[in-house]
Amino acid sequence: MSDATAFAARGRTWRRLRRNPMMTLALGVLMLITLAAILAPVLTPFDPYETNIRARLKPPGDGHILGTDSQGRDLLTRLLYGARTTLLIGFVGTGFGALLGGTIGLCAAFYRRLDSVLMRIIDVFLSFPSILFGLSLAAMLGPGLDSLIFAVGLSVMPGIARISRGAALSIMAQDYMDSGRAIGLPVQRLLSGYLLANAYPPILTYTTLAFGDAVLLAATLGFLGLGLQPPTAELGSIAAEGRSFLFLAPHVSTAASVLIFVIVLSFNLLGDALRDAGDRRSV
Amino acid sequence: MTLLTLTQITRDFHLRGGLFGGRRVLRALDGIDLEIARGETLSLVGESGCGKSTLGRIVAGLQSPSSGEILINGKPALRGKARARQIQIVFQDPFGSLNPKMSVGALIAEPATLHGLVSRRDAPQRVQELMRLVGLRGALAERFPHELSGGQRQRVALARALATEPELIVCDEAVSALDVSVQAQIANLLQDIQKKTGISLLFISHGLSLVRHISHRVAVMYLGRIVEQGEAEQVFANPLHPYTRALISATPEPLPGTGGNRLELEGEIPSPLALPSGCTFRSRCPHATERCAAAQPPLETTGHAAACWHVDSLPEYAPRQTTPPERMRAALDLYRSAAARRTPPLEETIN
Repeated sequence: MSDATAFAARGRTWRRLRRNPMMTLALGVLMLITLAAILAPVLTPFDPYETNIRARLKPPGDGHILGTDSQGRDLLTRLLYGARTTLLIGFVGTGFGALLGGTIGLCAAFYRRLDSVLMRIIDVFLSFPSILFGLSLAAMLGPGLDSLIFAVGLSVMPGIARISRGAALSIMAQDYMDSGRAIGLPVQRLLSGYLLANAYPPILTYTTLAFGDAVLLAATLGFLGLGLQPPTAELGSIAAEGRSFLFLAPHVSTAASVLIFVIVLSFNLLGDALRDAGDRRSV
Repeated sequence: MTLLTLTQITRDFHLRGGLFGGRRVLRALDGIDLEIARGETLSLVGESGCGKSTLGRIVAGLQSPSSGEILINGKPALRGKARARQIQIVFQDPFGSLNPKMSVGALIAEPATLHGLVSRRDAPQRVQELMRLVGLRGALAERFPHELSGGQRQRVALARALATEPELIVCDEAVSALDVSVQAQIANLLQDIQKKTGISLLFISHGLSLVRHISHRVAVMYLGRIVEQGEAEQVFANPLHPYTRALISATPEPLPGTGGNRLELEGEIPSPLALPSGCTFRSRCPHATERCAAAQPPLETTGHAAACWHVDSLPEYAPRQTTPPERMRAALDLYRSAAARRTPPLEETIN
C-alpha cells in the first residue's frame, strides 16, 4: 500500500508529462536514437571503418540510405556509431558532473562553514564560458575518451552544484531536518534520506537540461578536432569532416548536424517539460 | 528527583552588520538556571523572541550553548545519538516536521531501530504500539504525512519522539499551530502519556491558558532571562513579577468588555541588540526606579520567586475580573437567538 501511494504521486507527475505532446515526442525521439545507437551493429550491414575508394561521397539512395562519406563509408552507419560515442560522452560526462556538482551543492548547504569556500570555487568555474573551459581542458589532457568525458563533466558540474545548493538550502530550513538530527541520525542518512530525497526534483530537471549542453559540447570539441581522433566515429568530427566537401556533397555535414540538433533539442524539450510538470512544491 | 539541570546557560549569536558594520553580538539567552524533575511538566512562557525556543533547542542538543553547563541525571550531557536517546523534541509546525518522503510507519520505526530498541523484524509491532499510545489508528502506518491532518501529524511527531524512549520531551510550541479543539486533545494526550510513562515535559508556549491547565511548574522568560518561576498554581494565583502580571492580564476574555480593567504595558520590547542596563524589563515597567537601572535583580532558583528588586513593595496582586458565569450564559442565549433568527429554516435553503 505504501508503494501504491508513492506510485500514485509518481502517476500524477507522469500524467502531467504525458499531457504535453512536445515532451512525448522528445522522449520518443531520444529513446529511438539511443536504441538505434546501442543496436548499431545489428541494424546496419556495413562496417563503420571499412573504406571503399570507389564509392566516395555518393548521394543518398542506391544501397546507402544517407549516402557515403569521403572515404566511401556508409554515412548512416557512421552516424549510428557516432551517436553511440557522442551519447556515451554526454551520459557519462553529465553523470560524473551531476555526481560531483550534486555532492558539492548538498555539502555546501549542509555544512554552512564550507559554503562560502565551495561556492567561490564554483563561481570561478562558472566565470569561464563552458566551451572555452571544455576546450582548454581537452587540450590540456590530450585526446581520448576519458579526458573528453572528464572535460564535459567538469563543464556541466558548476551549474548543477549551484542548483543543488539552492534546492538543498530550502530543504535545510525545514523542521524535519532538525527532527532527523534530534533522533540522532548519522550524517550520511541525513544527507541521502532527508536532504537529497526531498531536494532532488529541481536537480534532476537541471541535469536533463545539462545533458543537451553536454552532447553539444562533446560534438563541438569533436568538430574542432579536440575530441576523439579519426577514424573514430563521433558526430562532431563527422560534421567537421564533411565540411571540406560542403559544396560537393552537402549531405555529410547536414546529416550529422541535424542529428546533433535533434538530440540537443529533445533533451531541452524534455528538461522544460520535466520542470513544468514536476517543479511544484513537493507534496 | 532532578532529571535536567541547566546552570548559567548563555547563548550568543554573532551578527554581521553589513559591509562596514562590524560584528555585533545578540545575547539570546543570558544566564539561565533551570531544573526539571522526573515526571514533571515545566512550562516556559514568554513573548516571541524572548529566547524560549533557543533554550528548547539547546536542551534537545540541536544547538550548543555559548557557555554554561547542562547536566542530565547529574552527569554532563552527551551529544548526538546519546542525547537523542534521553531527550526528544516535538516542533511547532506539524506540516514541516515530518519527512514527506517517509510513511508514518517508517517515520516512527526509524528512531526505534536506529537506537537498537527493536529489531527490524519487530519494528512494525512496535510502531503499532506507539501509534496506539498516541491515539492513531494502526492503518495510518501506510499513509504519508501529506495525507494526514495537522492533529494527526502532531501525534505522529509525538510517537516518533516517544520511540527512543526518552526521559524528557521538549514540546516547542507543539500545540500552537493546531485548532483550539485539537490543542486540547494533544494537551490531554501529553498528560496521559506522562501518567503512563513518567516522562518529563518541557512545554514551550506563548499562550497561557493551556499552560495553567497542564504544567506543574512555570518559568516566565523576558528577553533571554527567566524573570519568575514557581509552582504553576502559585504563579497564576499570585504572580510576583510585573511582567508576569501583564502577561496574565493579556489573556483573551471570552466576552470582550466584561473582563474589568486590563493591565497594559507601555512601549515596545527593546531591541535585543541594545538591552537596557540592570533589569531588562525596566523600560516598560510601571514600577521602575533608579535601582532597577543600576543592577540586574537576582532570581532564587527554589520555590516561587521573581527577579525583581521591588517584589516586596509591589502593590497587592488583584486578579482581573473574569466574565461572571451568569453574564456568559446570558450572552450565549442572546447570541443563539440572534443566530436562529438570521438563519432561514432548513427547508427553505434546500428549495
